[in-house]
Amino acid sequence: MNKLIFEKDNKVPCSYIRKPDLDIKEPSNFIPREFLRETLNLPSPGELEVVRHYTNLSELNFCVDKNFYPLGSCTMKYNPKINEELANLENFLNIHPYQDNKDLQGTLELIYNLEKILCEITGMSRFTFQPSSGAQGELTGLLMIKKYNKIKKNKKYKVIVPTSSHGTNPASIAMCGYEVVNVNTTKDGLVDIDELKNIVDNSVAAMMLTNPNTLGLFEEDILKIKDIIHNVGAFLYYDGANFNALLGITKPSIMGFDIIHLNLHKTFSTPHGCGGPGLGAVGVSKEFVDFLPVPIVDKKGENFYLNYKVRNTIGRIRSFICNFSVLVKAYSYLLRLGSSGLLKIAYIAVLNANYIKERLKQYFELPSEKPCMHEVVFSCKRQKEKGITALDIAKSLIDYGIHPPTIYFPLIVKEAIMIEPTETENKKTLDYFIDAMIKINEEIDKDPNKIKNSPHKAPVRRVDEVKAARELDLAYKPKDVSNFCDNRDV
Amino acid sequence: MSYILNTKEDIREILKIIGKNSLEDLFSHLPKEIVLDKSLNLNDGLSEQEVRERIKNLSLKNKPISEYNSFLGGGLYDHYIPSAVKYLSSLPEFVSAYTPYQAECSQGILQAIYEYQSYICLLTGLDVSCASLLDGASSFAEGVLMALRINKRSEVIVSSLIHPEYERTLRTYLSGFNFKIKKVGFTENGTLNLKELENLINKDTSLIAFQSPNFLGYIEDIEKIVCLAKNTGALTVMITNPLSLAILKEPAKFGVDIVCGEGNVLGGDLNFGGSCFGFLATKMEFVRQIPGRLVGRTTDLNGNTSFCLTLQAREQHIRREKATSNICSNSSFNAIRAAIYLSLLGKDGLYKVALYSLNLAHYLYERLKEIKYISFPFSDYFFNEFTYKISNSKSFFNKLYKKKIIPGLLLNKFNFSDCILISCTEKKTKEDIDNFILTIKEIYE
Amino acid sequence: MGILKFSKTHEWVLVEGNFATIGITDYAQKSLGDIVFVELPEIGRKLKQNEQFGVVESTKAASELYSPLSGEVIEVNKEIINSPQLINEDPFNKGWMIKIKIINIKELDNLLSEEEYKEFIKREQ
Repeated sequence: MNKLIFEKDNKVPCSYIRKPDLDIKEPSNFIPREFLRETLNLPSPGELEVVRHYTNLSELNFCVDKNFYPLGSCTMKYNPKINEELANLENFLNIHPYQDNKDLQGTLELIYNLEKILCEITGMSRFTFQPSSGAQGELTGLLMIKKYNKIKKNKKYKVIVPTSSHGTNPASIAMCGYEVVNVNTTKDGLVDIDELKNIVDNSVAAMMLTNPNTLGLFEEDILKIKDIIHNVGAFLYYDGANFNALLGITKPSIMGFDIIHLNLHKTFSTPHGCGGPGLGAVGVSKEFVDFLPVPIVDKKGENFYLNYKVRNTIGRIRSFICNFSVLVKAYSYLLRLGSSGLLKIAYIAVLNANYIKERLKQYFELPSEKPCMHEVVFSCKRQKEKGITALDIAKSLIDYGIHPPTIYFPLIVKEAIMIEPTETENKKTLDYFIDAMIKINEEIDKDPNKIKNSPHKAPVRRVDEVKAARELDLAYKPKDVSNFCDNRDV
Repeated sequence: MSYILNTKEDIREILKIIGKNSLEDLFSHLPKEIVLDKSLNLNDGLSEQEVRERIKNLSLKNKPISEYNSFLGGGLYDHYIPSAVKYLSSLPEFVSAYTPYQAECSQGILQAIYEYQSYICLLTGLDVSCASLLDGASSFAEGVLMALRINKRSEVIVSSLIHPEYERTLRTYLSGFNFKIKKVGFTENGTLNLKELENLINKDTSLIAFQSPNFLGYIEDIEKIVCLAKNTGALTVMITNPLSLAILKEPAKFGVDIVCGEGNVLGGDLNFGGSCFGFLATKMEFVRQIPGRLVGRTTDLNGNTSFCLTLQAREQHIRREKATSNICSNSSFNAIRAAIYLSLLGKDGLYKVALYSLNLAHYLYERLKEIKYISFPFSDYFFNEFTYKISNSKSFFNKLYKKKIIPGLLLNKFNFSDCILISCTEKKTKEDIDNFILTIKEIYE
Repeated sequence: MGILKFSKTHEWVLVEGNFATIGITDYAQKSLGDIVFVELPEIGRKLKQNEQFGVVESTKAASELYSPLSGEVIEVNKEIINSPQLINEDPFNKGWMIKIKIINIKELDNLLSEEEYKEFIKREQ
């Protein structure tokens, strides 16, 4: 098994850094000893050791570049390589955000152009690229609504979310000091409009909605929902995690949304990089333009500049400006696609999910009869009755080289398994996945223990997560504290 | 071109199997009022060749920092990045992978993050670090929220010498609540006014938030600040530059409860501030209040060492509105890159980077003292950054900018009028500094 | 020979004289899965009926613990802090959580009998 990097200390001196042409003095010459470290316990493995270490680690991972990765709600589509190349151009990487505006014209123009494209795609008036994730985008949107209400002296303190919502929605509501009010979904898997009508009152500030929802179903009553919410002076927030299904089909503005976030690392192909960085671009209707966090990118004549003068700005939710690489990648992707390319994404993403739904529905229970869009949710209830859980099925897929779909989400479906193929997979890959699922289902009767003890072919067998939580080991603790001064060539 | 592999034949076959006549039929259940009747008003898709040209030309409109003799810092510093850092952090199995929810097929990611967590613990001296947050400013806000959750008090004391953008971010994060924020001023040393701090602390104080080295570059008396906090049972939240911890004493040794800040300095590109990640570390007793993901080491079915995400019951996908934070996506990729940087430099290299930065900054300071128009309003100890003053600083700044020198960060917009924050990294040479001084002397004949 | 009652939030309480022992039911521990952590109150803490007194955590869930009766905490089970799996293995005996000195015996009327609780969980499913 791969040792930790800390166990690969070869005490190799470093020769990466040029020694300044100065008489180099010890830190104690500048700073009193009581502020200085006495020991620094880091390993010095040397370049070859480090390269082998991380190369070997990389081989233990599944990734989109290797095989099918149908994680529902995450839109694991292919990451085009041209995006990476362009995000790594020297003239983008070597820019300090505090340089004068005139040094930043290329960067600012890119951000400005991207904003225009996203406004066209979504129908929103302006965008901020400050939020570094969908969740941070949600917080930004909710804080804008809160400030709006404060200025208008509206006494609003509740935000409505469907029980099927992603966990970040209620968590974001709590983080901005609002009260969470849940609205149930019907047996069909859609928001219960009757219940919504009953719980909505003047104290509601907003409703957060994903459309298609987390069951992959289109909220057909969206215009009714819009009216119910707007009628009490509340706003509709769009969690854009599932926007891949609607590119070019409709716009959030037309559906009635006032503030939206787009996950550029989902819909717009930027890589997920082990869990981040992403970018949660927040788009607003005219009403909220004055509340955007600062700075925003504006143009005066031929010059682009960072504008800090936003009348009722909520302030900042991060330092500097934005996760710029993610914007370059999204921009490059959008230039490649054009309008017809975008529409094709929605068509094929929905086509692929429906194909999986059609071929697997005889084996796995569908919680809803409604047509699915870009992702399909099954319940493994039938399998659970035979003692096999969604987790067991997920772990078995690993043996086929497929990354498991999302499991146990949404919480309202028992033994949920959520499959989002995305548009970049073809029928051949889908067939491979479908065949694997069918085979696993058959094996439940023939060899249930094999399923329960899977995976068998992964770099490790099933990991003991209970032990991990009961016996916390969250960081390497060095056994001995080595001398600070050894092997240094200053 | 949408990177779609399905052929027309595939599409036809699938439509047949699912019983639909056309792709449009897949959307027939949507309300007619919302379906667009014309295509988006965007240009046609371009070839990859055209996209490369277009974006490359855009980039050429920038003037990168390498075209200047730059002393710009202020939270983001131009350090040397070894080639192997970029090489290893481009491995596709790190780039195109996702959050390691399925431990068995993500051991590489999990181990890399565990090692990153360990590095942060080694640098700060604390017991546990999360797997990364979004950036330094939001990690600071999360640290403050964490302290507020722990002791459930209502007042936050903030040093007026933390990075102004961090303070603004904190205020935005707290704007949904009714916590009271009190600011404590500074002395002519350029560090916190401890007497004023002592007067501000009371039984309602939840935490004291400060930065060291602070925004102006000076090292705070951490021991005294922690002592004052402990007197009333308040917590301490400290923002720091993790690179400075190669030389400066571990915050844990002073008793600091929560340490956070910007990790970009560990091998990240400047990238217009776009390669940031926040780090946050704390004592074991607070582990259940820590925001963000945590990777733990455990064993598998065969007893072999394995890693997995743990204590997920704190996070939003389980706890929803009761979660420690709403964070889901983080900056794991940048954090892993920082661990790669730390591994390549090793103890020796990291110490050298800090030592050279320290020496060059102090050499710069000595040379700047020769200029009689320049004064130094503050006198405390600094690491790689300090503040100087010159009347009509804006004009001075512009004159040097025209000569391709960036003499630091103008602090006028941060309410330190006529002050400039200047920094040095190991990328600077003695010659760079001498040329800078020579140019000033030429201008101010 | 005590009185055993249940709450709708899946705690059991065994009343013996002026004292009551409290824990979570078998249904609760099954739903949670392998318990990894439990947070218990300090001795001396005064609780009201239905007030939260702690948290129990598994790998896939975290649940608040609510006191079925008002009272003062006089003892907590230190064993389960170090070995939370005892709650899964033996939720009614070794997995007990807190002992309180009760204030108002009449509060028992608000709780469910064993039969009523069995009906209640059947309906939940």
